[in-house]
Amino acid sequence: MSEKEAQEMLLELKEKAELMVDLAYSSIIYNNKELAEEVYELENLVDELNEELKKLAVKDAIKGELDVNEALAIIQLGDCSEAIADAASEIADVELREIELHPIIKESVLESDEVLIKVTVSPGSILVNKKLGEIKLASHTGMWIIAIKRGEKWIYNIDKNTIIKENDILFVRGTREGMEHFIKIAEGKEKEI
Amino acid sequence: MKKVPRWKEAEFEEIEYEPTSIKEILIEMKNICELIVDLAYSAILFNSKEIAEEVRYLEVRMDKLNYQIRINAMLAARTKEDAEKIAGVLQIAEAAETISNAAGDMVQLLSYKLTHPILPNLIKESGEVIKKMSIGENSSAIGKSIGELKISSETGVRILAIRRKDGWIYGPRGDVKLRRGDVIICIGPEEGIENFRRLLKGEIEVLE
Repeated sequence: MSEKEAQEMLLELKEKAELMVDLAYSSIIYNNKELAEEVYELENLVDELNEELKKLAVKDAIKGELDVNEALAIIQLGDCSEAIADAASEIADVELREIELHPIIKESVLESDEVLIKVTVSPGSILVNKKLGEIKLASHTGMWIIAIKRGEKWIYNIDKNTIIKENDILFVRGTREGMEHFIKIAEGKEKEI
Repeated sequence: MKKVPRWKEAEFEEIEYEPTSIKEILIEMKNICELIVDLAYSAILFNSKEIAEEVRYLEVRMDKLNYQIRINAMLAARTKEDAEKIAGVLQIAEAAETISNAAGDMVQLLSYKLTHPILPNLIKESGEVIKKMSIGENSSAIGKSIGELKISSETGVRILAIRRKDGWIYGPRGDVKLRRGDVIICIGPEEGIENFRRLLKGEIEVLE
């Protein structure tokens, strides 16, 4: 039964689309063209995923494993996620153009309810060489790592097995309250999570 | 008489120039854009028509904001350089509206007659869970503000919305106080949610 597979794909689509929105806004705050380009890369991936998902839903409907309404629902959710991903690329597009950004764009992102920060892990931080699952960062600080830049490499598929290394650049999303505490931890000034 | 949903009442309201700053509008648009996607998924996972209604309302609100930002942006451009920079602002506003429309389309699914939930495994696998919980009579959280309770820093749980009597508070800020009878929709890591649930039920006095 491939209903489970379809669900997994849908989940991946949803997470990728949300990640793209976060990365797109981050690219604007940090004037980071590289990040904006990553959003474009991810968009291609999302397009492919959605294509696969649709085929799967149709196949399952033909085989009678999914009823027509269910298959339609899955296709529609996939399309919505793709629309969100496309919108994220539109945001990243602003960063990639050779036009100077209007200062209010940056200000408005910085003043909204959720914050996006970029922080480098210092060698003295307690985060170094820790698995995310083992330190329970999200539940203790209210901050979620959305992407890591390690040297030239970008890491997006972050889960509980991801290990943080020194000098990693973390892109983190969360609440204003959790932000300062998190920065101190990453900079090694705070030794407890 | 049948009650007209709030979003329908607001749908074709007249658009007038309001002297709000473009920045304020853009902030509200970004806030809605984050909240509405979370709410749309919650609506589907909970099969909740109520939350779906709120998604519709936010979608309508976003439409209105998008009109307003266009009007204000046109008035703000004095030179060619202004216009170039403001084009970027409008592009971002448009993207925020696209996102809210996508969320609106998602909740349309709830009007299909489905034999069983379409996404039963989805919540489990994403690591985050979405829960709707009500506050217990004896909870020590009654009368305390969200910031005071340190919910997000202690548990990683974010409150998406609070239902209070007939109304909703979306994305409540830290100074919002919890009250008796509140229904809370929140998202977060499983353990964090469990910890928070125990506080709401009065099983523990403070979050640990």
